[in-house]
Amino acid sequence: MTEFILRGEALTRTFPDGDVRALRGVSIQVQAGESLAIMGASGSGKTTLLHLLGGLDRPTSGEVFFEGKPLAGLNIDAFRARQLGFVFQSFHLIGTLSAVENVQIPMFESDLSRKARENRALSLLDDVGLAHRVNQRTTRLSVGERQRVAIARALANQPKLILADEPTGNLDSQNQAEVLTLLARLRQQHGLTLIMVTHSPEVAASADRVIIMKDGLIVNT
Amino acid sequence: MRFSTYILRNMLGRRARTTLTVLGLAVGIAAVMVLTGIAWGFERSFQAIYPAKGVDLIVVRAGIGNQLSSNLNVNIGETIRGVSGVLDLAPSLMDTVSFEDANLVAVLASGWVPESILFRGLRILDGRTLKTGDGRVTLLGRVLALNLGKKMGDMLSVAGETFEVVGIFETESLFENGGLIMPIQELQKMMGRGGQVTGFVVAAVNSGDAESLRALGKRIEAKVPGVAALPTREYIAADLQIRLSKSMAWATMAVALVLGSVGMLNTMVMAVFERTGEIGLLRALGWRRSRILALILGEAIGLGLLGVVVGSAFAWIGIRLLLLSPNARGFVDPQLPPSIYGIGLVMGAVLSLLGGLYPAIRAASLEPTEALRHD
Ligand SMILES: Nc1ncnc2c1ncn2[C@@H]1O[C@H](COP(=O)(O)OP(=O)(O)O)[C@@H](O)[C@H]1O
Ligand SMILES: [Mg+2]
Repeated sequence: MTEFILRGEALTRTFPDGDVRALRGVSIQVQAGESLAIMGASGSGKTTLLHLLGGLDRPTSGEVFFEGKPLAGLNIDAFRARQLGFVFQSFHLIGTLSAVENVQIPMFESDLSRKARENRALSLLDDVGLAHRVNQRTTRLSVGERQRVAIARALANQPKLILADEPTGNLDSQNQAEVLTLLARLRQQHGLTLIMVTHSPEVAASADRVIIMKDGLIVNT
Repeated sequence: MRFSTYILRNMLGRRARTTLTVLGLAVGIAAVMVLTGIAWGFERSFQAIYPAKGVDLIVVRAGIGNQLSSNLNVNIGETIRGVSGVLDLAPSLMDTVSFEDANLVAVLASGWVPESILFRGLRILDGRTLKTGDGRVTLLGRVLALNLGKKMGDMLSVAGETFEVVGIFETESLFENGGLIMPIQELQKMMGRGGQVTGFVVAAVNSGDAESLRALGKRIEAKVPGVAALPTREYIAADLQIRLSKSMAWATMAVALVLGSVGMLNTMVMAVFERTGEIGLLRALGWRRSRILALILGEAIGLGLLGVVVGSAFAWIGIRLLLLSPNARGFVDPQLPPSIYGIGLVMGAVLSLLGGLYPAIRAASLEPTEALRHD
């Protein structure tokens, strides 16, 4: 039997305020190295599922397994810091910091020295094509550049998994194409597993596999 | 990037609020430093009066808090002199006078017996000291002479009587330097207190040893009913004015701590509230709770330290402004002792913790999803 890098089993998530059943029993398996797109209408539970898979939130019932081990038994902060990179639709960069400083933020949870943190952040920014923008405050970057900083930050601690919630949702088609190319190249380079929530057919087309959600359930695989 | 660089960026990111918070803290810290400095200077100044004269014990009426309100008959001096262990003794009458033209109130006027031990430690800067047989003459303390604009040979009107200034003196005590000295019988006459003194200063045979001084005090109290005979150090610590100035300093510190920590709390609660999304992001990226705690508490400590630095500057300036007032000049030492800056530092640390801990704990307990949804 194949060992899945990430596996969700009978996941439900009910939000007490408003009594919303965002997930109503979702099982999902993700193979190491694959790229997966999750599609579905707004409010269908995509973000909720991604948060459960990334250990940002706990399921009401069911369990998520990382490399066969239940997340409930892991140090969840360390899991997020070392195994995962997050990319968000609205980038979530820190506006008071420069690009290179933003990329270093996750590295405070690593054992790297200050110098090593800086060098690694510089080389990651170089890798996403932003070597000339490293000292800019992120508020002064274009949206395409911001998402590339966020992608560099997601790679800060050499994770195995990238979780991206509508990574191109705020980008025009030109920038979307560039970010998709970048993600594909980085996945190749670093052997990453990629899970993307998206509305975009182009993004979905770039994935190995597409999952469609409706009303808190997966309706195809 | 250092962790501290991130904290600094957060402070610089909201310059106006950082500035206002630091100013608020600085004013509170400076007020405490100045008032504590005055209270300590006051006490040190009193403490300095007696050792220089070789005075070991003070005898005043029992049950009073302040030497100025003591009242004893000058004749009991001979009884006290007869107590074994007493080396020497001198009566002293203290009162306060005003010089309204110079805007000076509560100037210490001391009536002493010429050539008594009270004159020890007095440096004559100009003119001469008092002699037996002197009449309406007075010695002015250096600071009082300055404030009145009087010099040796000038005439001075004290409570309606005219005195000749025969000398200018200086002692270790800022308090005495702001006052004047005259023959005891002149002050008695002027104040209508013939035969009365406020107290006696006593030099002991065995002056070094605190135990035997206390024993000597007990023997004097046993021999002369109605008096309190205290070693000078204890006497001064019990003085009402010193206790008052100290409790004022303490009260100011309490108020400054409350106001300062509320201000700090307000600033840091706002900072955490504004940055809910950012803190959620940090948690999402795997920052452990203790690191978030350190980030927020670090910012509070940064503000507190800036408050101490600016507050010390304010205190330095404030004490010099205070010295422009003639009333303060007599007993305020412009040199704040280093321990006062230590008090400022401790206050800054306490304020940082009082105001920063709750917001930091709040921030550390944020869940990443609830925080990220804020935008
Ligand atoms: N923290 C929350 N509290 C209450 N309801 C929530 C919360 N998060 C999501 N929901 C609700 O759960 C459902 C699924 O949300 P979400 O997973 O964000 O959908 P999607 O990402 O597919 O648009 C929606 O109805 C949404 O309003
Ligand atoms: Mg969503």
